[in-house]
Amino acid sequence: MRRNNKSAISQNALKETLLFTLPALICVIIVIYIPFVMAGYYSLTEWNGISKTPIFIGLENFKTIFSSGSPEFLNAIAFTGKYTMLFVVFTNIFALGIAVALSKKFRLANFLRGMFFVPYIMSMIIVGFIWKFIFTQGFEKLYEFTGWNIWALSWLGDDKLAFWSVLFVGVWQSLGFYIVLYIAGLKSVSTEVLEAASIDGATGSQCFFRVTLPLLGPSITTCIFMAVTNSLKVFDIIQALTKGGPGGSTYSATLDIYREAFQNNRYGLGSAKALVYFVLVLILTQLVLKIFERRDVDL
Amino acid sequence: MINKVERSRKQHTAYVMKRKAKRVIFYFFLTLVALLYIYPVFLMVINSFKPFKEILTNVLALPVNFTFDNFTYVIKKMDYFNLFWNNVTITTIGILGILVISSMAAYILDRRKTKYTKLIHSIIIIPMLIPFQTIMITLLKEMSILGLSGSKVGLGIQYWGFGASMATFIYYNFMKSIPGEIDESAMMDGATTFTTYSRIIFPILKPVTATVAVLDVMWIWNDFLLPLLMVNGSMKSKTLVLAAYNFVGFLNTKWHYALAAMVVAVLPSIIFFIFLQKYIVDGVVTASVKG
Repeated sequence: MRRNNKSAISQNALKETLLFTLPALICVIIVIYIPFVMAGYYSLTEWNGISKTPIFIGLENFKTIFSSGSPEFLNAIAFTGKYTMLFVVFTNIFALGIAVALSKKFRLANFLRGMFFVPYIMSMIIVGFIWKFIFTQGFEKLYEFTGWNIWALSWLGDDKLAFWSVLFVGVWQSLGFYIVLYIAGLKSVSTEVLEAASIDGATGSQCFFRVTLPLLGPSITTCIFMAVTNSLKVFDIIQALTKGGPGGSTYSATLDIYREAFQNNRYGLGSAKALVYFVLVLILTQLVLKIFERRDVDL
Repeated sequence: MINKVERSRKQHTAYVMKRKAKRVIFYFFLTLVALLYIYPVFLMVINSFKPFKEILTNVLALPVNFTFDNFTYVIKKMDYFNLFWNNVTITTIGILGILVISSMAAYILDRRKTKYTKLIHSIIIIPMLIPFQTIMITLLKEMSILGLSGSKVGLGIQYWGFGASMATFIYYNFMKSIPGEIDESAMMDGATTFTTYSRIIFPILKPVTATVAVLDVMWIWNDFLLPLLMVNGSMKSKTLVLAAYNFVGFLNTKWHYALAAMVVAVLPSIIFFIFLQKYIVDGVVTASVKG
């Protein structure tokens, strides 16, 4: 009798648990897991998105991706890799520098922080258009004023320069986000430790590199991880700035997946690319976590 | 002796003055950098008030022939207020759903720890590792089968699934800090699990709710790729960003209209930011540091 009662209670508890989690579970399963499994299936087929029956072709799509005949995706991955690396380095160095300057106590600090944060709250599409305007109209005028050649270069029309333009706009848009994270991290570095260091005769830069920076470990890990995951997904900014051009030089992996499926109508091949991309992202983010997790210092 | 003291005092004031001057120069320089940093945004705004010809001849300075014509044209042509309403609808549906389903799940997952809850927890959290682009192709196919593509409500509902992982994660971390005695005593008084959640736990979760809401408003309001896939074809459910994208792309080099369209498209975000700056900044920090 007693036992029955107990199992009734635990069964009731299980029912309740399910009832409370079911809405979230269903939503996640519908928009993430089912399409993920479908992507697995369609990656093995040739499918134009319209026909009802995709043709099963085995691993043919994956062979196509890695064959030398169609280098678009590999180029796009190379672009994304280069972009991610430089994005991580630039955002973190600049954000940390500005955060250190802004974390000093002065009246304008919050206001200036807000100014750096403004691009981050704007849609990336609009950010891309703003810079398209400046790269074309603004630079033309600046060249007339100054005569400096740097303004006369074709920042969006030259395939080498376009990479740097995209990178620059990407960093410009999100720098505020990392600044805010670093300011929060700097605030948690205890002033006592810094005072102790400077009493012991450490100079300003010694204080920063030997005390502040190691203590910022967790913030740096967070920021690098965020920068990696965000830059691997770069899409909107390129779509607004160059649409992958000139000559396909600014196609990111995500843009290439999009193009393959929705412009070339090769949904099967697109799905296969999407899965390869997923595996690469997973490996890279786990690698970053592994490398930086051990760097946290305890006092 | 007195002389010596006098001299060292003088040296000290000189030293203080020098430091002060250094600081002033530093802050002046910093302010200059910040101003230069948002100068592009400023350029967009001032040029949106210029007639077309003036943009071509005078980009960098303030408008000489100040005009609202660009805005009246763009607001009418884009059907701005309708778009604004679409955004409000989609964002509201998305946010409300995310907040409810995530806080409920996080509450029970923290309070009942069994092997089942561990599994459910993982199933809800793992999607944070799956980039949207991996599933977008097949998502479109699935959503058109389910009839969730092409409409505002459908788009709003899709955000529930995309937002639930992160929101549950944040809620769950916060739940740990709410002592179990609080809901136990409510249960003693005869409250059901659901009333405990809705009357006691959810109000305590308010600060997290604010964090999640602010972050998700920014995300859904500005999202581009999902609306591009789902509602691009239908005029009625277009979002503000999507419409601005199509509109500016269509205008090509008619920058006077394009800039005005861009300004009206980002204006809500800027106003949102000005009023909620503290919450937004705090929210960004909380979510990332905990995440």
